[in-house]
Amino acid sequence: MSAWVKIAIRNIIKNKRRSLYTIIAIALGFAAVNVFGGYTEYMFTSLKNGFIYNYGNGHLTIFKKGYLEEGKLDPTKFLIKDNELEAIKEIFKGDPRILLSTPKLEVTGLVSNGRVSTIFFANARVPSDIEFIRSKSTGMLAKIKLFDGNKLADDVPNAVGFSSGLARKLDMRPGDTGTVTSPTIEGMVNAVDIDLYQTFESPMAELNDKLIDMNLKLAQDLYDTTSVGSITVLLSDTGMTDKVRAYLLGEFNRTRLEMEVKTWEEMSPFYRKVRDMFDVIFLFVFIIVFVIVVMSVVNTVSMSIMERTREIGTLRALGLKRAGVVKLFVIESLLMGMVGSLFGLVITLIVWYAIKVIGPTWVPPHITKSVPLEVFLVPSYLVVSFFSLIILSALASMAPARRASYGKSIVDALGYV
Amino acid sequence: MQGIDFAETSPIITMRGVWKYYDLGENRIPALRGVDLTINRGEFVAVWGPSGSGKSTLCNLIGLIDDASDGVVELVGREVRQLSDDQMSEFRNKTIGFVFQHFNLIPVLSALENIMLPLQIQGVSAKAAEKKATGWMMEIGLGDYTGQRPDKLSGGQRQRVAIARAMVTDPSMVIADEPTANLDSQNAGKIIDLMREINMSKGTTFIFSTHDQRLLGRVQRHLQMQDGMIVEDKSL
Repeated sequence: MSAWVKIAIRNIIKNKRRSLYTIIAIALGFAAVNVFGGYTEYMFTSLKNGFIYNYGNGHLTIFKKGYLEEGKLDPTKFLIKDNELEAIKEIFKGDPRILLSTPKLEVTGLVSNGRVSTIFFANARVPSDIEFIRSKSTGMLAKIKLFDGNKLADDVPNAVGFSSGLARKLDMRPGDTGTVTSPTIEGMVNAVDIDLYQTFESPMAELNDKLIDMNLKLAQDLYDTTSVGSITVLLSDTGMTDKVRAYLLGEFNRTRLEMEVKTWEEMSPFYRKVRDMFDVIFLFVFIIVFVIVVMSVVNTVSMSIMERTREIGTLRALGLKRAGVVKLFVIESLLMGMVGSLFGLVITLIVWYAIKVIGPTWVPPHITKSVPLEVFLVPSYLVVSFFSLIILSALASMAPARRASYGKSIVDALGYV
Repeated sequence: MQGIDFAETSPIITMRGVWKYYDLGENRIPALRGVDLTINRGEFVAVWGPSGSGKSTLCNLIGLIDDASDGVVELVGREVRQLSDDQMSEFRNKTIGFVFQHFNLIPVLSALENIMLPLQIQGVSAKAAEKKATGWMMEIGLGDYTGQRPDKLSGGQRQRVAIARAMVTDPSMVIADEPTANLDSQNAGKIIDLMREINMSKGTTFIFSTHDQRLLGRVQRHLQMQDGMIVEDKSL
């Protein structure tokens, strides 16, 4: 073993208490960064998978160009017609990246239980397609039941699902009947009978007293149209989202289809806002950890240098160069960084396992149901923080070590008491 | 004197008009005043005088652990002012050995590892350094103490380890600043005798400072210092 590593290890052991405090600071810093990072990664993954799979939004959504800007005022102007839908399906044919494409129509109107009426917003889709998308959900989210009551089915077009707040408002339960009323795309008023099959929790608490899930066929009958508002596309791999979007835009351009394509991330401002917020929080956590680790190492090294000033003078007199003195203390800090990071890894694994075993739940913002709380182990975070803390520990020792080596003459160091 | 062939003597240390000042607040204190000195290879020299006479300052300048304020210092024919800090470090490691008043052994290293240290600073492999250091442990009569740390050794034993550490790189000269100050008179005599023995067998130049006149009988040449000047330079 190198003499310098030997001296470093023995000095760490000699000053057990001081070294331990520094190692613990590094370990807790490592664990804090990785547990919080693992929690945020769980949050992002859950939000992402929830949006894409559980709520059936898929990876990409195709609209008529201009729909998002002007479609709310006059949605009928931006409906995708049958021939356009066929042309789009032709583009998808045989592409192994595309698992499924399914049409969607958003409708609004009044819903009544026969006694009272209230407004509704409906997502009208093909039930079996939504079932397929949901079946691709993984992890804890796959185990969550998203509705109470019976599944909607393709061959029961009048079956609908109410958000729980809407069901309470109209005092309706699965098995009850009602009526939905809406203007058609021609401007005539139309009404259709509905059978309440299920209730569900709205993904946004503000809409929990207004949302209806209905069969696409029912919505098309209500609007008296065969057109759709958008097409949901499910991919085989989330990582291909941007690539497939670029491909589709190219194809639409080539075939002169006036369509635009939005990714799941663009369609979920909530996800983006949550991600941005947690990125900032993570940055603050990292800075705090950074400061604590640096201060611990600087303090430990400074005290060590003070106690070993005469030793430094002796080593210099024996011929050790200034850089060699710096190297001595950097090795010591590097070793503490390594041991601290290893302990930090153990603490992280213990916390991860404890959460897995205990299985806590929580109710996230804008969600009305409690969901499992998890911490992911993110290999890239573990590796980056492991090496970052080791390097940080080494760098933190350089300033005091340089001051010791360059700041004091050999004679002064030898005479230090 | 026996053992040294002075036919091949040549100056190993030359000092001409050397001054050294220390700044104490607004005052400038001269520690050395225009010292002229020549020490030849293989000499065994004591520098003695009362506290504050400048003997430690003289040893520090010769050992390249301090700089002269004025004048010329040449070691082995080379003017030291021309050397960079790294060059001085290398020069000290290869050419000069140090023995300190407080022994200055590294507390976390064993006696053997302390002796190996100057070689490892030089870049010598651990195996080769260990072999040479073991030889020196036997030479100083501490073959059974290789694994002991300094706090387990007596003062005399520690100083012998320090001498072995000074000698392990086969230096041209050894500077010892008050090497016997922390030893009883019996051990002090033994240390001087050990240094003299090495001087005679290996021809290494020894320069040591002391305020103990009783040791002067064991040296070949002594320089008396007072108020920063050499007031007497006597060879026996």
